[in-house]
Amino acid sequence: MWFIDFIRSSIGKKWIMALTGCCLVLFLCSHAAGNATLFVGIPLFQAYADQLHSHPLIISILSKGLSTIFAVHIITGILLTLQNRNARDQKYKVQKRAKTRNNSQAAATMVYSGLFILLFLVLHTSVVSFGDHSIIGETIQNLFSSFFVSIFYIMAFIGLALHLSHGFWSMLQTFGLNHPSYERLINVSTYVLPVFFLLLFGSMPLLFLFGIQN
Amino acid sequence: MSTSHNNIDLSLEIWRQKNSRTLGDFETYQLQSISTDMSFLEMLDVLNEKLTREGKEPVAFDHDCREGICGTCGAVVNGIAHGPEPETTLCQLHMRHFDSGDTIVIEPFRSRAFPVQKDLIVDRGALDRVIQAGGYVSVNTGGTPDGNAIPIPSPTAELAMDAASCIGCGACVASCPNGSAMLFTGAKISQFSLLPQGQPERKERALAMVKAMDKEGFGNCTNERECEAVCPKGISIRNIARMNREFVKASFF
Repeated sequence: MWFIDFIRSSIGKKWIMALTGCCLVLFLCSHAAGNATLFVGIPLFQAYADQLHSHPLIISILSKGLSTIFAVHIITGILLTLQNRNARDQKYKVQKRAKTRNNSQAAATMVYSGLFILLFLVLHTSVVSFGDHSIIGETIQNLFSSFFVSIFYIMAFIGLALHLSHGFWSMLQTFGLNHPSYERLINVSTYVLPVFFLLLFGSMPLLFLFGIQN
Repeated sequence: MSTSHNNIDLSLEIWRQKNSRTLGDFETYQLQSISTDMSFLEMLDVLNEKLTREGKEPVAFDHDCREGICGTCGAVVNGIAHGPEPETTLCQLHMRHFDSGDTIVIEPFRSRAFPVQKDLIVDRGALDRVIQAGGYVSVNTGGTPDGNAIPIPSPTAELAMDAASCIGCGACVASCPNGSAMLFTGAKISQFSLLPQGQPERKERALAMVKAMDKEGFGNCTNERECEAVCPKGISIRNIARMNREFVKASFF
């Protein structure tokens, strides 16, 4: 079967990572847009949540789809990591990075930044997403008024930014998008996108922490 | 001739392994008065002469042209495949890039797909099997075909030549944190898919070469660009992007 052959191949698995990653970035965009209502105030945010949950069918389809995409991204990522570790049975005594100008730290730590985001995801969804939606505004208010919870959220956003700073460029490379005419655009956007998400999401707990929003 | 001013003393830590079935380990050797005009392999020649005189087994290492064009030599020197100089094969690395008193750790290219045969020699037959999977041409007798009978745009010809400059040394695999051979395979698929002569088998070739690569047990590319940094021919990871496109096109269209 050509499709099975494709997804079982090395490039096929890279495509799975890139496609699911792309979906997750799109989800982040919609999540960021919705949550931006927090900047206006808790009532608007609550109204947004109420509006969203008044369409149970959409919520059900999106949340199931999203969970599947997350699961595929995580499982394929772990599978690839294990396969890659197995590709070198004897480690080098000395191993240096020949390249220093590229973002190699983010690249080398993708599985760790990914697992950290997963930990965040488990905690975040269990409290917020699967919590009581009718009082979600209050839940957020309570969460972000705690110093440690806010710091944990900000750390997760930093982890996400690190993950994306390699992931976004890497996704395009896997799709075969690497050409001198738009190389600069890709190189810039792979940093602009994570910084944008970091500033947007990171400022939410900060607003509450410094009492600007309450 | 070099003067004592240009001579350096070195401490070498070299991987010694009797054969593919035994376990290896590092041995330390001291070398005095090595001329900085020597190439890295000439320095190893000096060591081997010394070892032979002492009645010890010389260090086995691969080499052939010693001009940087054949792709036979290669080892990981202080953690970097082919040593610290960019776009340089091990034979073209010169001792002037080292200082007196340096310790140099020399290891074979490591990958599950490259079993160590002896000391620094590894079996890179896996790369041969990948290129074999790409097919072959039959050269029939008759007049020599006209070189410019098929028009090829200059930029395309240049891209194909850039990819074809791969000498198959295996440094990309050795340096890749995942032991992936995608730069090699990407370059080989690119060189054929870019040229008009490679069109008839373009799809089968992409599918077969990627399949052969996966079968050898190489890791998967995570776009860390180490291969591109150590490649003695400076082959760009754009060739990996092209391979990704070729493979998807061949699979789906």
